[in-house]
Amino acid sequence: MIGKAFKSYWFPLLLIVPFLAIYGLIFIYPTISMFVLSFTDAPLIGSGSFVGLSNYARLFHDPRLLVALWNTAYFVILSVIPGAAVALLIALAVQRLSGRLQAAVMALFFLPFIVPVSVVYLIWDWILNYQFGIGMHWLDALGIPRVPVFKTVTWFMPAVAVITIWWTCGFSLLVFLAGLRAIPAEIYEAAALDNASRWTTFRRITWPLLWPVTALVLTIQLILQLKIFDQVYLFSTGGRPNDTIVMVQYIFQMAFVDDHGGRAAAVAVTLFLIVIVVTLVEFQLLRLAGGGQKK
Amino acid sequence: MIGRFQITRLGAGLLTSLTVLIALAWVFPLYWGVISSLKPEDEVVRPYIELWPQTLTFDHYYSALTKSLIGLWYINSLATAVGVTAITIFSSMLCGYAISQLNFPGRRYLHILILACFMVPTQTLIINHFVLMAHMHLLNTWLGMILPQLIYPVIIIIYKQFFDGVPKEFREAALMDNASEWRIFYRVYMPMNWGITTALAIVVFIWTWNNFLWPFLAATQNETMTVPVGITQVYNAFGVYYARRLAAAVLAALPVVLLYLFFQRQVTQAITLSAGIKG
Amino acid sequence: MSDIKLSNVSKTFGTVSVIDDLTLTVHSGEFLVLLGPSGSGKTTILRMIAGLETIDKGTLEIGGQRCESLPPGQRKVAMVFQNYALYPHMSVSGNMAFGLENIGLDKAEIAARIAAAAKLLEMTSLLDRYPAQLSGGQRQRVAIGRAIVKQPKAFLFDEPLSNLDAALRVRTRVELAQLHQRLQSTVVYVTHDQTEAMTLADRVVVLNNRHVEQIGTPMEIYHRPATRFVASFVGSPAMNFIQVKTKLNGKKMGIVAPSGKWIALPSASITKGDVELGIRPESINIVDRDADATGQVKIIERLGERTLLHVQLDKGPLIIVQDSGLSKLNINSPVKLKFNVSQISLFGPDGKSSLRSAAS
Repeated sequence: MIGKAFKSYWFPLLLIVPFLAIYGLIFIYPTISMFVLSFTDAPLIGSGSFVGLSNYARLFHDPRLLVALWNTAYFVILSVIPGAAVALLIALAVQRLSGRLQAAVMALFFLPFIVPVSVVYLIWDWILNYQFGIGMHWLDALGIPRVPVFKTVTWFMPAVAVITIWWTCGFSLLVFLAGLRAIPAEIYEAAALDNASRWTTFRRITWPLLWPVTALVLTIQLILQLKIFDQVYLFSTGGRPNDTIVMVQYIFQMAFVDDHGGRAAAVAVTLFLIVIVVTLVEFQLLRLAGGGQKK
Repeated sequence: MIGRFQITRLGAGLLTSLTVLIALAWVFPLYWGVISSLKPEDEVVRPYIELWPQTLTFDHYYSALTKSLIGLWYINSLATAVGVTAITIFSSMLCGYAISQLNFPGRRYLHILILACFMVPTQTLIINHFVLMAHMHLLNTWLGMILPQLIYPVIIIIYKQFFDGVPKEFREAALMDNASEWRIFYRVYMPMNWGITTALAIVVFIWTWNNFLWPFLAATQNETMTVPVGITQVYNAFGVYYARRLAAAVLAALPVVLLYLFFQRQVTQAITLSAGIKG
Repeated sequence: MSDIKLSNVSKTFGTVSVIDDLTLTVHSGEFLVLLGPSGSGKTTILRMIAGLETIDKGTLEIGGQRCESLPPGQRKVAMVFQNYALYPHMSVSGNMAFGLENIGLDKAEIAARIAAAAKLLEMTSLLDRYPAQLSGGQRQRVAIGRAIVKQPKAFLFDEPLSNLDAALRVRTRVELAQLHQRLQSTVVYVTHDQTEAMTLADRVVVLNNRHVEQIGTPMEIYHRPATRFVASFVGSPAMNFIQVKTKLNGKKMGIVAPSGKWIALPSASITKGDVELGIRPESINIVDRDADATGQVKIIERLGERTLLHVQLDKGPLIIVQDSGLSKLNINSPVKLKFNVSQISLFGPDGKSSLRSAAS
């Protein structure tokens, strides 16, 4: 009996061994050890002793946590919904075009998404360079005084958010276009026969039918931007990183700069839980909103 | 007499022109980065806008390639991206096939586990990835660079959905043809998905090439960095020469941009699939 | 010896019984058609023979070998699927070779078998093409070729013509019949199309609701349906059914026709009381007098070689009557009808035929 079971199951089990080995080593084990580490006073490398919840207690008295939380939330507000809106507008504009022109325009909008983040950083750092950047020339032309964008706390987050929207818009655009193509042409033809205006067609047909895709884009972007690090870190070098810090950057600083492994793990656990809770809540909210749309 | 039809036509033409203009403006930063890297350093810092260099020069590329470790970084990036792509595609295809087509105890739990992986933010695992790699003495090695970047649950799900979509008659026909389980997978199902495998491999390669956070942490020496990390981390490699830094940036982006331009259809297909939409 | 014997075979899906105690023999060289509506269990029987469904109870013998617990590949039968299931990434010859490579035949033998099958099916020029480059009819041939090269004990066909257009279906049907005459192989063929069953089969098994209604030659099935279901399922347009009463006239048993006329029936085994009279449209004649039933024409369908009249009986239901192609009747014309007594079927309240010996 055991022999027979072994005989019929060895092949599927063999197929999932690579997955189990990889995810066990670099996913499940690190997740568990992150929780364990957060209850110790260990440095980044080396052992520590169990300190209970004191890492968490210290964390909640650390003013940097509030700054990092606020900056992360601020970045999310600045990038998620505006980013989706921009992508939707572009998608509607691109959808009108056809053939090679559509493919070419689509490729132009998509191209920034393909570029590594450090290249995005170098290019925009150059464009907004206080002394020589082309952006500053334009400010001069408009008669607006120049600003050292990435060294000013007020301008830092909005600028990084705009650059992020520019960078990642291609992805949302692609998803929106796929969603728009999935709406059958007959529905638009029927609406045209019903004498619906453009705006009515969008409000009553495109928008409700596109809602699941919009929800998808918002979910993906929200979860992605909660974990923001790369751009913020890169643009803040030479700026004021302590004031523009975001959550992952906080983990990075605590662990790799201050060498507090245990305390950094406590921050990591906090972000871990925030992301999971936000994901679940947003999922539910969007489902409810989607249900309301259908009525 | 201008009828309503003409007005609509005119409006459509205007809208199309506007869309094209915005698209051109959208890539202008990339254009500007490239064009600046082709100007002599003194032209670059001129206080007015020149959309085309007066003197076209490739000197910055020459010095970026010769006076920095970028050659070494290229090799590191290539090894990392190829390694991650090969391992991810291989293990995901096997796992997706098993979950979709085969029956074994715990199959449902495995599927749920993979879906749960989507929710977990891998960025929070950087500390423990670092500790683990340090313990395994893998920091500053290709393997240490590769391992923590292997978490792409979405690839498994795409493969599962693909195999779900294959009519079950192929499996049955192969069974009638006396094929072993291995041959059913290797000769019947695997060759059927070369198209999707190519698309996914290109996209995983691009994602890995572009990845910043883990390579940034895992390489603590200049020699072991990847291109995207190296060009931002080693300032004295390019000094304050803006054009030379931009030349390095262009070199960093070039492989993935070329991949995209050559395989546009596959890249858009794979990315649409990765968002959870049937392509 | 390549007959197929199913003995007391049962199968359940969960708690639903799909096949219950089925015993069926397919003789060597016989073309057996499993005919029935969808959900009748015909495909399940085929798949149990193939080994794609397990047999819960009972035994299966193919060519004298017990097979019910063998994996599909080892039963030495070949199957042609409804959607053909041609491997899209293999050429035509690759598709045919795959099954042979799996049993370790040497290359020369494989090539020889493919060449022979290709010649037989007249598709030698297609061998290097890929399925996507083939038309529906060509794919069908390749699927059959893939079965032939295996030199199986039996061929299993699962609705192989249903994906073809009407004209091609007729042509392929004829070719299948010719192929079977030449190969003289055992065939089990599943279909819901009665024309395929009538034209191809040596014997037909009519299935309904997961049990066998009747097994017999196409002519037996058509002219002597064993049950009301078989009578209504086979034949187009369907058999007419009229409620009548049986009546003894002296010692002879007969029925009372709608006109009130007594019709003698040459059989003693008739259920007494209410029965259903079944009669096909072509077995009803239009007469001037001595009618078994009278009525009024309501709809006329002119099909060219014949005309179908939908007649509302004065005392009875709406029935269909076949007339000559040049029928001169008009809508609302009164008609007098006479039944061809030798073609009458009677069905008792249980749906079973109660008139077995009428023709013989």
